[in-house]
Amino acid sequence: MKQLYYDVKKCLGCKSCEIACALAHSVSSDLFKAIKEEILSLPRKKVISSKDKNYPVSCRHCKDPKCVDACMAAALVYDKEKGMVLHDEKRCVGCWMCVMVCPYGAIRPNIKTKIPVRCDKCKDKGEPTCVKACPTGAIIWQEEIALPAGTLSEKR
Amino acid sequence: MKQYIIIGNSAAGIAAVEAIRQRDKESKVTVFSDEDYPAYCRCLISYYLAADIKEDKIVYRPESFYKENNIELFLNKKVSRIDPKKNRVICEDKTQFTYDALLIATGASPKFPDTQGIKKRGVFGFRTIKDTKEIAGLLPVTKAACVLGGGLIGLKAAYGLKKKGVDVKVIIKSKQVLSQMLDFEAAGFVQRKLEENGIEVILGQDAAEIIGNGDIKAVKLDSGKAFESSLIVVGKGVSPNIDLIKETQIKFNAGLIADNSLKTNIPNIYTAGDCAETFDATLGRHTINALWPVAVEQGKVCGANMAGDNLNYAGSVGMNSIEFFGLPVISLGTYKVKEGEANFEELRFCNTKENLYKKIILRDNFIVGALFVGNIGNSGVFLRMIRERINISPFKDKLLQESFGYPDIMDFVSEDISYGDGYLNKKAT
Repeated sequence: MKQLYYDVKKCLGCKSCEIACALAHSVSSDLFKAIKEEILSLPRKKVISSKDKNYPVSCRHCKDPKCVDACMAAALVYDKEKGMVLHDEKRCVGCWMCVMVCPYGAIRPNIKTKIPVRCDKCKDKGEPTCVKACPTGAIIWQEEIALPAGTLSEKR
Repeated sequence: MKQYIIIGNSAAGIAAVEAIRQRDKESKVTVFSDEDYPAYCRCLISYYLAADIKEDKIVYRPESFYKENNIELFLNKKVSRIDPKKNRVICEDKTQFTYDALLIATGASPKFPDTQGIKKRGVFGFRTIKDTKEIAGLLPVTKAACVLGGGLIGLKAAYGLKKKGVDVKVIIKSKQVLSQMLDFEAAGFVQRKLEENGIEVILGQDAAEIIGNGDIKAVKLDSGKAFESSLIVVGKGVSPNIDLIKETQIKFNAGLIADNSLKTNIPNIYTAGDCAETFDATLGRHTINALWPVAVEQGKVCGANMAGDNLNYAGSVGMNSIEFFGLPVISLGTYKVKEGEANFEELRFCNTKENLYKKIILRDNFIVGALFVGNIGNSGVFLRMIRERINISPFKDKLLQESFGYPDIMDFVSEDISYGDGYLNKKAT
């Protein structure tokens, strides 16, 4: 099961991933057309800077996802095989319970579409668009690995 | 092989069933519901009333769910009594069932005030799909309606009615809308939004009488004023459905008292959801947090523990998320500091023109509550800080900033949230 990892040492905070993400989820997939689309495509990722370091923040696809528990419309489900939180947009009513409970602040409301914006790992595109868009190679798409203690922000 | 009985087929009950089945595929699981509808998204009834969604969207688990998980489901079957000494439940129709482990997740029912005329035909609670369908059935002949109560249920009903072209007035006893989840200032934003969209809000007055001989004609207020109305929705809070245990040894206050494994004082009886009083982390005492996500969380713990696990429930936090006409609002924990209470501090940001308001309530540098109006993007991070009791002094000056986010708290939060993706080289080398 492939996961997204972010090498904080390499991230410059250029936000290329944000642009690539928004573009990949736009209707036209063309930058100059996308910015004129009636409903602007929003990035699923946000680079947040803290203490001189930059952190791309997006849905972590938690294994015990709070958002799935909170979803009162049964639109969010955890797919064990894919290791992903999936979102059925057709069922979503935009109640923002998922936004309220996300421990990473990684789900953002799109008030216009009434649908939360969160990383879908670019679904069937093979690999998430942000990976190639990163000029420094800070976004890594690879099989889940056991990392040496202290290198990862979270324990398993 | 065990026999599990779950009373209640909504958020907590279903979460418990799923947690049991993750651990125990063999034992018998029986679910009782006093409604005649498979599990549905109770919180979506206002969207259904408004015709924002069709009926298929309201289904929380399809009928096949029960078959696939080998669950025996009884609809329209009310459990009227529990006999803990004989480990059995007794239904209204006199049938009896025995259990090894029992979950009481009976939820709550709307409270009706003793206003004169409240029993008349055309006065509704707004809790079930049945209520919703009955209200919807009257809409073609309803020009004007009154909602009694300015809480979440009342306002959601008002929204649904307005969306269907009914003239709606909301009659609220207190001086603000949503007095159980917002401060005066945040409530003002919501009220303006409702009024801009044609919902009339009447504050500081209560209904004194519902007038009409047969069909309802009007609601008379305690001020003497009367509003024409043929349909009334009552949103005056709910009370837990706990009559079934009142002749037992099971302890209760307003709701059934749950310990930190969500057991009642009877070892094989558990409780979760709107009928359960659990520890509230921000209040520091037991209370009912009647909220869908809380019910799911609790149901999961109950199911696991009924199936032999030993999970500890960390406690609930009062919270809610609402949106009316494009204005999102989130309330977490304590939302008002009573005057004269010591050690509290409020951080605020307000921009009335842009419909933006944020308030963070601190007690000794710990967040005990927060309100977000307009921009709710990072509210989950605040909920996490409340839940995990994070001392915010290292980043206090950043809390109100737009740029504040998870990276600012990552070194201080517990790291046991299971996750998929992660950061590399986070620490300086």
